[in-house]
Amino acid sequence: MTVESHAEQVLSLVTKAGAKGDLIVDQGNAISLKARDGELEEHKVTSSRIFGLRVIKDDKVGTAYSEAADADSLSSLVEQALTNAGYAAPEVHEKILANDAQLSTDDSILCPEEPATTEDRIQMALALERELAGKERVKNVPYNGVQDGVGERHVFSTAGLHAATKSRSCSAFAYALIEEGEKNAMEGSGQVARLFSELDRSSLIEKVYQDAIDILDGEPVPSGHYDVIFDKEMQVSLFGVFNVMFSGKSAKDGINPMRDKVGETIADARLSIMDRPDNTNGFGYSLFDDEGTPAAATELVKEGKLTTLIHNSMTASHFDTQSTGHATRGPRSTLGVGLHQLEMAPGDADDTQLHQGKYLTLTELTGMHSGANAISGEFSFGASGFLCEDGQRIQPVRNITVAGNFYHMLKNIGLIGQTQHWNWQKSALMPAIRFSDIAISG
Amino acid sequence: MLATQTAQSVIDHGLSLGADFAEIFVEKSQSSNVSTLRERVQSVESGIDFGIGLRLVYGTKVLYGYTNNTRADDMMRILSDLAARDLRDPRVNMTAFDYRDAPNRHPLKKMLSDDPAIESRVAYLLKADAAARAASNLISQTRGMCREVEQRIEIFNSEGLHTEDTRHYVRATMTSIASDGAEQATGMQSNGGMIGWEIVDNLDAEETGTEASRQAIVNLGAKPCPSGRMPVVIGNGFGGVIFHEACGHLLETTSVAKKASVFHDKLGEMIANPAVSASDDGTITNEWGSLNIDDEGMDTQRTQLIKDGKLVSFLVDRIGSEQTGYQRTGSGRRESYKFAPASRMRNTFIEPGNAEFDDMIGSIDQGIYAAQMGGGSVQPGTGEFNFAVREGYYVEDGKIQYPVKAATLISTGPAVLKEISMVGGDFSLECGMCGSISGTIPAAVGQATLKVDDILVGGNA
Repeated sequence: MTVESHAEQVLSLVTKAGAKGDLIVDQGNAISLKARDGELEEHKVTSSRIFGLRVIKDDKVGTAYSEAADADSLSSLVEQALTNAGYAAPEVHEKILANDAQLSTDDSILCPEEPATTEDRIQMALALERELAGKERVKNVPYNGVQDGVGERHVFSTAGLHAATKSRSCSAFAYALIEEGEKNAMEGSGQVARLFSELDRSSLIEKVYQDAIDILDGEPVPSGHYDVIFDKEMQVSLFGVFNVMFSGKSAKDGINPMRDKVGETIADARLSIMDRPDNTNGFGYSLFDDEGTPAAATELVKEGKLTTLIHNSMTASHFDTQSTGHATRGPRSTLGVGLHQLEMAPGDADDTQLHQGKYLTLTELTGMHSGANAISGEFSFGASGFLCEDGQRIQPVRNITVAGNFYHMLKNIGLIGQTQHWNWQKSALMPAIRFSDIAISG
Repeated sequence: MLATQTAQSVIDHGLSLGADFAEIFVEKSQSSNVSTLRERVQSVESGIDFGIGLRLVYGTKVLYGYTNNTRADDMMRILSDLAARDLRDPRVNMTAFDYRDAPNRHPLKKMLSDDPAIESRVAYLLKADAAARAASNLISQTRGMCREVEQRIEIFNSEGLHTEDTRHYVRATMTSIASDGAEQATGMQSNGGMIGWEIVDNLDAEETGTEASRQAIVNLGAKPCPSGRMPVVIGNGFGGVIFHEACGHLLETTSVAKKASVFHDKLGEMIANPAVSASDDGTITNEWGSLNIDDEGMDTQRTQLIKDGKLVSFLVDRIGSEQTGYQRTGSGRRESYKFAPASRMRNTFIEPGNAEFDDMIGSIDQGIYAAQMGGGSVQPGTGEFNFAVREGYYVEDGKIQYPVKAATLISTGPAVLKEISMVGGDFSLECGMCGSISGTIPAAVGQATLKVDDILVGGNA
């Protein structure tokens, strides 16, 4: 049976029960490879499909999912979702949108034809581990891998919507453990691309090796307050930890600290942030969200002022505004909101200004979820990086902590760089920010 | 769940491809999630996961695939694809299946499949919610969650093993948010076990809600935490997360075999202060990380890891045993059929001692009492770890002074083990979710209150 015929079977049962609903079908195939001591250590091939149903009856919402696709299981899926709805409190703002659009993504952008063979991928995995392990002082490469997969998402609704997305993602990663006497260090990185041929093994190996060598002799710096630049990977992760500040869902639930601050200044006047689902260079490129609402560039922070929260149709209705095309829902999850890919506007500091005087560049933060409270903004992370002066690294730094309040930090920005950079996952595009007066413990 | 004849043909096929070992892991899991938000049911979700994991082993090399399809030809196709580069003449013969009942160490009464009534879950959460809101007018939001999973597994392997087991997990959590208009803070209280919904008979909903709000209020009034190296007293229960992350993961053959653990060559050596003994135990009745059998079909056990400071065992799964030569310890675990098993922890803890809490606090000139720990992470290769303090207090002149916020503890596994100088007797275990190479699994952590003489505290004072 096709995905469409499964959907027809499920949604006709929903309609027959006097309810409305939407069905998400996720399916995909993937290969994952890991190497050890020059041999393939793990070879994994996977094939999966899952159905996730949301029903709304008498303003009550219920969800259920199933990995089984036989007729009995799909009937049971509908019954279970209806039963669950019976227990929920009425939610007058959550509706199945009156949207009968037939939407699909462009395979030439998101899912190009892949000429690489399984053998090509295996050779890549073996060479990645072998060449990195062969470098001087590298004890081993304990974590490494090459992955390649194609995933599809179909959203069908009783209103006639069919939104289909198909995308390919190829990635490689490696961590090198380096030892010299009693000292050791482990650093890692990765690459992601739409096509296997776009992965650059040599540059990945060189980056991982150099990062590990550079940090090996790291020592703590004295405790105190420092200017800090988070490197491009860590800066994106830091904003990710606190992105609840943009969530209309969290605002509706009363746990977004910015819920009453739309239109107010929440950051330095030089800070402007947009969500840019229309940027095809990133892996957050999207034409529509999980309700089938078109996704478009959205201004979130303009010159320090919070201009909007992100909304799905339910949160938009609650706040009497329009959906911003940020609905998220998975087969196992209820309706939420999520960013596509952040883009921060470049600032006016050139490299010389940005790197003037003494500062810390932090290249690794640990405990980013356990050490952060997105509601209060407080955080305390383990960190490593480099003490720098006038753009030169003068000392590798390890075993320190960095602590503060993220929402206060947004108002305490020293400089914003002129050049934007993607993180390696290509999920956000940002210039470097130099934050002032950050607490460091060494 | 899978016909024996089908399993037989699939494993026969795997061995015909030259594999040393073939295994089928069948899983059907039923789950239910009830969540409340301020006096009302926010959502009720449920679902069925079903799939089959297929593993071929050539020496120490693992080939793994999975499917949602129970057809033998589909499973055989996956095995053929996986083994395409490793084909060789058959090395071993299939041993006929000998069905073995798994031991029943953990009685389960009210499981989802026979007691799916949502009403009692809702009643429990709303009672806790009311108590949380009644605790203070500074409580601005309350959120409850009750998650249950009934996991049925069936394992066949080429050594003739055929066995089945059912696990049932319950976890109920209440979160409170306190706000004074300018700042917000959170508190959280959680209970759970590898047990049916009969757990509710031993839970006090009001106490759960009150405790979540007490933490939130304490944190709302907390001051910035001093930073630097200092002694820290770590509270019982979830304080054991430090041992779990900083040491437990380094004792799994997953990292030991790769020499990615700082302890890989330390068996038989003193790696901790003699005050420290530690175990990983899957036999504790109905505890969160307990099992009847592991995900490779081996009976669970209690494994002594450290005895009086000396490293006496690693945690060993089948592949880890092949790679290191150590005996299996029933530690092969995985999140679901989507993962090959790996050596993982169950209920991991530092054993209790006899130090008194007042003596620990009284011995500190300047330091921290970390009453409640949050999560953290560790880098296995170097042993470097970090942990968040969820509820902490500044200690000066042997007395607890005031609550502190945003504190993190930083050290390495080998270093902190040697700095534990006093262990109390107030032992307890708490639930956690442990993420690693074979997915995210239930694992309990535990300890009595203990004192670390010197550790780096990160704060923003």
